[in-house]
Parts: sequence; C-alpha cells; structure tokens
Amino acid sequence: MRIFRWGWLALCLGLLGYGFYQAMYVAPTEATMGDIQRIFYYHVPSWCGMAVFFAVNLGASITYLATRRSHPLLALNSDALALAGAEVGVVFCTVGLITGSLWARPVWGIWWTWDERLTSTLILWLIYISYLLLRGFAAGPQMRTLAAVLAIFGYADVPIVYFSTRWWRTQHPAPVFFGGPNSGLDPSMLPAMLWNIAAWLAWGVWVASLRYGIERRKQRAEQNAALRALESTLEVAP
Amino acid sequence: MKSNPQTLRIGIAVAIVLGVIAYLAVTSVNAGKSYYVTIGELQAMGSKAYTRHLRVAGDVQANSIRRDGAGARFVLVEQGRTLAVNYQGIEPPPDTFKDGSQALAVGTYGRDGVFHATELQAKCASKYAPAKPGAAPATAALSSPAAQK
Repeated sequence: MRIFRWGWLALCLGLLGYGFYQAMYVAPTEATMGDIQRIFYYHVPSWCGMAVFFAVNLGASITYLATRRSHPLLALNSDALALAGAEVGVVFCTVGLITGSLWARPVWGIWWTWDERLTSTLILWLIYISYLLLRGFAAGPQMRTLAAVLAIFGYADVPIVYFSTRWWRTQHPAPVFFGGPNSGLDPSMLPAMLWNIAAWLAWGVWVASLRYGIERRKQRAEQNAALRALESTLEVAP
Repeated sequence: MKSNPQTLRIGIAVAIVLGVIAYLAVTSVNAGKSYYVTIGELQAMGSKAYTRHLRVAGDVQANSIRRDGAGARFVLVEQGRTLAVNYQGIEPPPDTFKDGSQALAVGTYGRDGVFHATELQAKCASKYAPAKPGAAPATAALSSPAAQK
C-alpha cells in the first residue's frame, strides 16, 4: 500500500513535469494573446479537477444519506470520501479563480468583473467553503447529515457555472469546447491540455487519498474514545 | 417506500427552494439585465439610454482608434451599426484592444451621440490558433523579455 502510494506520487510528478514541458515549450504561442494564453493549460485542468472532485463529494454525500442507518461503516467511509472530495475540489476551484484573474488582467484589462460566469463561480467557492466550515465547527452524525444535505444543494450551482456562458452574455468567453463555430482549440494545443488534465487529476487523487486515510483514522479514534468512555461508566456500576 | 410526514415536509421545502431559484433565474433573464447591451439595443432604448450607466459591446472598427494619452477615441461596429466611443479613463486600454477586436465600453451615452466610457474591457474569442511565424502577437511585450528591449 505504501509502495503504491509513493509510486503514484512519482507518477504524478512525472506527469506534472511532462505537462509543464508540453505547455511551456511544445504548445505553439497563441496568435492574439501571445504567451499569456499558456495559463489556459493550468486554468482548464483546475476546473476539470473541481468538477470531478465536487462530483465525488456529491456521490459520497448521497451514499452517506442512503446508508447511514442500514450500513454505518459504508456511511462513515462515504463521509470521509465526501470531505476529501470537497477539500481537493476547493483547492482546484481556488486555483481556477486565481489563474483566471491573472489571465484576465492583461487580456481583458481587469482583474475581476461581476458577470454571470465569474459570479456563479465565486458563489460555488463560497458554498463549499461554508460546507468545510460546517464540518469544522460541528461534529458527530448530525453534522454529517447536515453536511451531506448542504453538499447536494451546493452541487446545483455546478451546472449553472458550466452553462452560464451559454445562457447569458458574459465577459468570460463562450465555451472553447463544444462551443459551435468560431470556437475551438488548435489541434497542436490539445496534447498540452490533456497531459495537464491527466497530471492534475492524478495529483488530486493522491491528495484526496491521503485526506481520506487521515479522516478514517480520526473517525476510528473518535469511536474508540466513545467506547472507552462508555466502558468506564460500566466499571463504576455495582 | 412509505412516505412519512418528515419526508413530505423536506420534499415541500426542497420544492419551494428550487421554485424560488427557478423563478428568480427566469425573471432576471426576462428583465433584460444583461451584462452588456449591443449597439442595436442601445439605440432602441430611446431616452432611457441617456440616463443609465451601461456596458456596450462591439467590434473595434479598423483604423478608427485615435489614442490620446491614456484615453482613446474609436468606433464600435456591430451588425452594420456604429457607435462612436470616447474613452477617458485612468488606465490605458489593454494590449488586446486593437482593430477588429471585441471590446466592452463602460460609461454613459451622451446626447451628442458619443458614448463616454470610463472603463474599457477587451473580450476575447474562444478560438485559439497558433501565431504565424514572424508575426508578433498583441501581447508581445508581456511574453518575451527580448521584446521589451
């Protein structure tokens, strides 16, 4: 297990290095934006990572709610997975917002604007920050149930974010992929994007697996503490 | 599955919340509070156009940019309609602001028919193509240190 974990890390670092090489040296310079467009190879993989890990959080939250009475162990595993998914998703969301802002400054002339895409994304970030705060401020099965319900409601914003550039007029460009005519990525830029998506997803899986393991240990420690507390009351009884 | 009163209550609450979100989304879209207006919409607004703070989108007409300090005068085109813009702002326009590029001007529409902008934003396409060899990209100054010399 430990060998597998370090092997996976080595794979991640290799992919990240190769992705960097592809993005910085192999992909051609973009015609209108120049080299600043290379941030695209980090901006898009961040949102891919966010979408994947918030979906993991959603699936695990539904599993928790469905199994919390019938299969308590599966429910606890799901809860740990939901937390890991939300945390890694928030990291990707933060990186996506920051890379977007850095890109917007030279290309749009502004750091930020309140269009539908940027606003709905900021709301998504706030929803998952509040999810993590709820988990931090409360404990026990009630917190887990509330967090799972919040996660399901919170995920409703993900499709809104995705479709915002199609539904409304936005500062953010229309979708590059499946965006119809007058959109799209030159085939020579595709490898850099795909390698970086693979690399950052692999990195996300590695971090999430560590967080999952830590959370499971924390749950077991809490259970043991509760059990000892219960046993200590039995000893004083006649 | 037998439905108990609690499930019913949660169901009603969920329906109300989703209903309110859908209602707000639909009404805000119908109210036309868009992020920006087109030149055609601006010209169709009548006297309302002069009193509102607006954001107008269009393509920068070729050879229309006259720079003056940090400001610029230029013409926006959209489907044959044109709009003269006088930009007087604190910051110079972004590097991507040039002939044929999409731009958003933020400001007020004057009765002189000129749009007085205080902010200028470029809007970029979602089509990425490699630069042709030898052609300098718009943001060359940002890209390579050699270009700044």
